[in-house]
Amino acid sequence: MSGYAEGIIVLLCINAIAAMGVSLLTGFTGIFSLGHAAYMALGAYTSAILTVKYGLHFLPAIILGAGVAVAVAYFIGVPTLKLMGDYYAIASIGLGEAIRLILENWQSVTRGARGYPGIDAYTTLPVALAFLVVLAIFMFNIINSRFGRACKACRDDHVAASLLGFNTARIRVTSLMISAFYCGVAGALLGGFLSFIQPVMFDMMKSTELTSVVVFGGLGSMSGCILGTAVITLVTELFRPISQYRMLIYGAVLVIIMVLRPEGIMGNREFVSWIKDPLGRRSK
Amino acid sequence: MSAFFELSGVTKNFGGVTAVDNMTFAIEKGELAGLMGPNGAGKTTIFNLVTGVYPVDGGTITFQGENLARLKTYDIVHKGISRTFQNLRLFQRSSVLENVMTAAQHGIPYSFIEGMTHLGRWRGKESDIKKKSMDLLERVELADRAHQAAGTLPYGHQRRLEIARALALDPELLLLDEPAAGMNAEEVISLNVLIRDLHRDFSLTILVIEHHMDLIMEICPHIVCMNFGAKIAEGTPDEIQNHPEVLKAYLGEEDDDE
Amino acid sequence: MATLIQQIINGLSLGSVYALIAVGYSLVYSVLLFSNFAHGGFLVIGGYICYASLRTLEMGIWTAGVLSIVGAGVAAILTERLAYRPIRERTNVTLYLLIASMGMSIVIENIFVIVAGGRFRALPAVIPTSPVDFFGLATTSAFDLLSLAAAVIFLWGLQLFLSKTRWGLAIRAAAYDLRIAGLMGVNVNRLISIVFFVAGALAAVGGIFLSVRYTLYPQLGAITIKAFVAAVIGGLGSLPGAVVGSLILGLAEMLTAGFISSQMRDLVVFSLLVATLLVKPAGLFGKSVSEKV
Repeated sequence: MSGYAEGIIVLLCINAIAAMGVSLLTGFTGIFSLGHAAYMALGAYTSAILTVKYGLHFLPAIILGAGVAVAVAYFIGVPTLKLMGDYYAIASIGLGEAIRLILENWQSVTRGARGYPGIDAYTTLPVALAFLVVLAIFMFNIINSRFGRACKACRDDHVAASLLGFNTARIRVTSLMISAFYCGVAGALLGGFLSFIQPVMFDMMKSTELTSVVVFGGLGSMSGCILGTAVITLVTELFRPISQYRMLIYGAVLVIIMVLRPEGIMGNREFVSWIKDPLGRRSK
Repeated sequence: MSAFFELSGVTKNFGGVTAVDNMTFAIEKGELAGLMGPNGAGKTTIFNLVTGVYPVDGGTITFQGENLARLKTYDIVHKGISRTFQNLRLFQRSSVLENVMTAAQHGIPYSFIEGMTHLGRWRGKESDIKKKSMDLLERVELADRAHQAAGTLPYGHQRRLEIARALALDPELLLLDEPAAGMNAEEVISLNVLIRDLHRDFSLTILVIEHHMDLIMEICPHIVCMNFGAKIAEGTPDEIQNHPEVLKAYLGEEDDDE
Repeated sequence: MATLIQQIINGLSLGSVYALIAVGYSLVYSVLLFSNFAHGGFLVIGGYICYASLRTLEMGIWTAGVLSIVGAGVAAILTERLAYRPIRERTNVTLYLLIASMGMSIVIENIFVIVAGGRFRALPAVIPTSPVDFFGLATTSAFDLLSLAAAVIFLWGLQLFLSKTRWGLAIRAAAYDLRIAGLMGVNVNRLISIVFFVAGALAAVGGIFLSVRYTLYPQLGAITIKAFVAAVIGGLGSLPGAVVGSLILGLAEMLTAGFISSQMRDLVVFSLLVATLLVKPAGLFGKSVSEKV
């Protein structure tokens, strides 16, 4: 397999991991987030600094990077997620901007806007695939467990959910923390793939890309978001020559899908149920 | 000895409107009681106060001797009180079975790690949750529609699904908010039978809000009647039917078939 | 002391521009109960129309201003019709509106990137920026005083509209409960269009002043995040809150820039957001949204 094709697959794995995180938060728990790239940035920079400056092995570095993302998610999430309304969405934009500012200005630690080079290329194809497979299994399991049902209850009717005994604030925060973990891992893997990271890689464009992928694949379908990642990653590569239209297309995709088919490609069904029941006679 | 479930001087104001005015009544364990009154009397507000959706402005609500005042809604549920909703609040996109499982899972816990890895007790507990849910669906005669999306059920079936879901929480006190709303005469009769059967089989204490006379008079030996937020009568169906205040409140609505 | 007064005036001036944007955003929020992330797009549209009118069509500032206001207002109505109404009519899931609004925001910004190019454009200097002596206490620029004055006039105009006209009354009713306003005979779709027009118009005025202050470029709309923060601080859905929150924000930014450092400006903005969310999440004049159970 050529290096180029391998690279695409690694990128696909990384994007899919991040997308699964966003899918859990937005598709399954119903929380709109605009700053998810911030968690990727936290994972990427923590892991980069740990491996380059302190010589830590990449596996614990990735986990610690994701851990930092989770901690930040907790601090942002606790005050904002107990409120209904769009508070988390606004706070998430703020978070994204604040992280970007810190990364660009805390030069002594992050090397600023010029970027952090020299990261060991630890994200090989087997590593990327291994992370994807393990994390995907965990995510599908989570969706099909009591926690998944709890998230969906909070999404579909938070009043009913709390009157059915769910601590909706706590569930939302937990969902956010899990999604931050996934994005943190993805960010750390990205650093190990490109051997170089820059704050501008984790800007609003990246967050929007993640949201587009999840929306496109289907809010409420985990296999949809993986499918969406594959499609969008491949299309992005194919249409590299017209990349200045990329953002316009993402934006248009978001609007068009919401207007025409908000369920996205998969609706809220998983791939397996499409095979078993193509016409959708059973609901799940 | 304090009553099983008691409201004492409960008051609730919204802006300048007194929705509930010094409400006092008590229900004993195992009763099948009714709360009736014309539209806007404050009945659903009482349920909302009991379940912690709104805080009370005055008075106390006690359940099994415990004051429910400072508790969060989800804590109140865990104390043993569950309810259905006047305007139906099913999870429309989810299947009938999943709606009930979402409630049933509370009594059959397993850890997050077990959920994430599908190891340990996951398989056994999930199967228990499913079985418990299917049993409840059998009870309300919805088992054959287990995998249908809840939002696609006929209206009467949706109401029964909500009851099944509320039961899945293993409540000691079940609050039914206008369970017969929108039903025809035949459906109300089978609902009556269902409520009676559930009351007996699950040893529940049930408080029903209704203003469908056929239901509440038929099955509730103890009825509290309210209007404009205050209690106007309390007693057996016969006493209520002949009570002058009740007749006054409902005057002009005798032919109202809701 | 002079610097302090200078920065205060700067802060109020900046804050008043934020207020124009935040109020329009809060107005939409109060009626439709969703956060229109495309609001920044209206700002940018206003800025570019003004620029094009001044530079290409060589019109006077007043004509350019009117064109911008109308243009942005119409664009806002179109956004609502094309992207939000179809969703609103089909479902009540706010999440879909949020996502669509994000999409529209990106579409609008990138249309300008492609059509107008990403470079920074300076508006022709029709708005005076010369230094003015402020009662002998400090020197400020005419621009600051003018933008403050303009914001006051427009906000006052909005206040009159809301309190003295029929549609204003309808909007206030709708902000209380949209469904009931509709049941009382208000043409809900037309009301929403009017609300969007007003929001777009106000954003356009803000956009014009911001383009002079910061030069015009497609991503200028990103500054709307500060208006969102101001609206949260003041209380989402509250118009007086949006004004107060904006002034606080403008002052905080300018005082930080003047006395601490320019880098810290934006961090202060976000710290205020965090502080609000931790201490009084509903904001200063927060409107509590209670659902009927």
